[in-house]
Amino acid sequence: MLAGLFSAVIAGLLVGLQNIFNTRVNDHAGTWSTTALVLGLGFLASMLLGLVFEGTQLFVLEHIKTWHWFSGLIGVGVVVCLVQGTKLLGPTFAISIVLTSQLGFALLWDSLGWFGLEKIPFTTQQLVGVLVIIGGVIVFKFGGSQKTDKVKKVHNQMKHAAGR
Amino acid sequence: MKGILFAFLAGAFITLQGVANARISQDIGAWQAATITQLTGFIMALLIVLFVKDQKWKQFKQVRPIYLTGGSFAAVVIYGNIYGIHSIGVTLTIAVILISQLTITFMIDGKGWFGVLKKEMKLPQFIGIAMMIAGVVILKF
Repeated sequence: MLAGLFSAVIAGLLVGLQNIFNTRVNDHAGTWSTTALVLGLGFLASMLLGLVFEGTQLFVLEHIKTWHWFSGLIGVGVVVCLVQGTKLLGPTFAISIVLTSQLGFALLWDSLGWFGLEKIPFTTQQLVGVLVIIGGVIVFKFGGSQKTDKVKKVHNQMKHAAGR
Repeated sequence: MKGILFAFLAGAFITLQGVANARISQDIGAWQAATITQLTGFIMALLIVLFVKDQKWKQFKQVRPIYLTGGSFAAVVIYGNIYGIHSIGVTLTIAVILISQLTITFMIDGKGWFGVLKKEMKLPQFIGIAMMIAGVVILKF
């Protein structure tokens, strides 16, 4: 369990850092060029690390199913929805909804155990935990400060939208 | 209303992505899952770039090189995500990732690193993070 928590912490740190880096690229190169670069590099890095840890075993794809090849399209859906949501609502409001929805669906997924993942029965305690986290997200995001930069970011995004 | 729907779907897709990767990794392995999903995502994004005749990639050279490397982090992110989902479940994994992500963003904002406008750390942000951690504790114990 500790290893699981630790890997989630590392993943979160890297996501935060990556978002900041990607925003810098996005400021110049726009959504789609940035997305292509980000996914292309992610692909190369995954392949390299896969080769390091598993050798040519990486290319043994015996049990691959057709739908696996299409799962990458979800990422494109993420980008479209994030960009549109942020443009229409502004980052603070948009991100709060994104995080809330993310947690809500995670809870739903655990309780239903779809896709043959291990089922974690739904309890009131879990619901309370998720609601407290969402409360924390709202306090964090709407709790004053950091207004100027956000206004600037929205402004930039609008500029991109207009320039396209 | 449209914006709320988009943001809502974005969150749904992010969770779905993690779950799909975790599922695919059961069949072919975690590194394989990360490699394949990003390859197909990349091809799709590239097609869109070509389709909308986006020429903005020419601006890549105006970006500081270090910022261009962000995409490569995803290899470790996806692996960590898959590992987390298998060992502690979807809800806890996503919750811990969110807290860790918001905390590092908050620290970078506070220090003004990476060309981010420096912002003062305020009490509400500390309370928010404390609440999120409390939520995870409730979730798990």
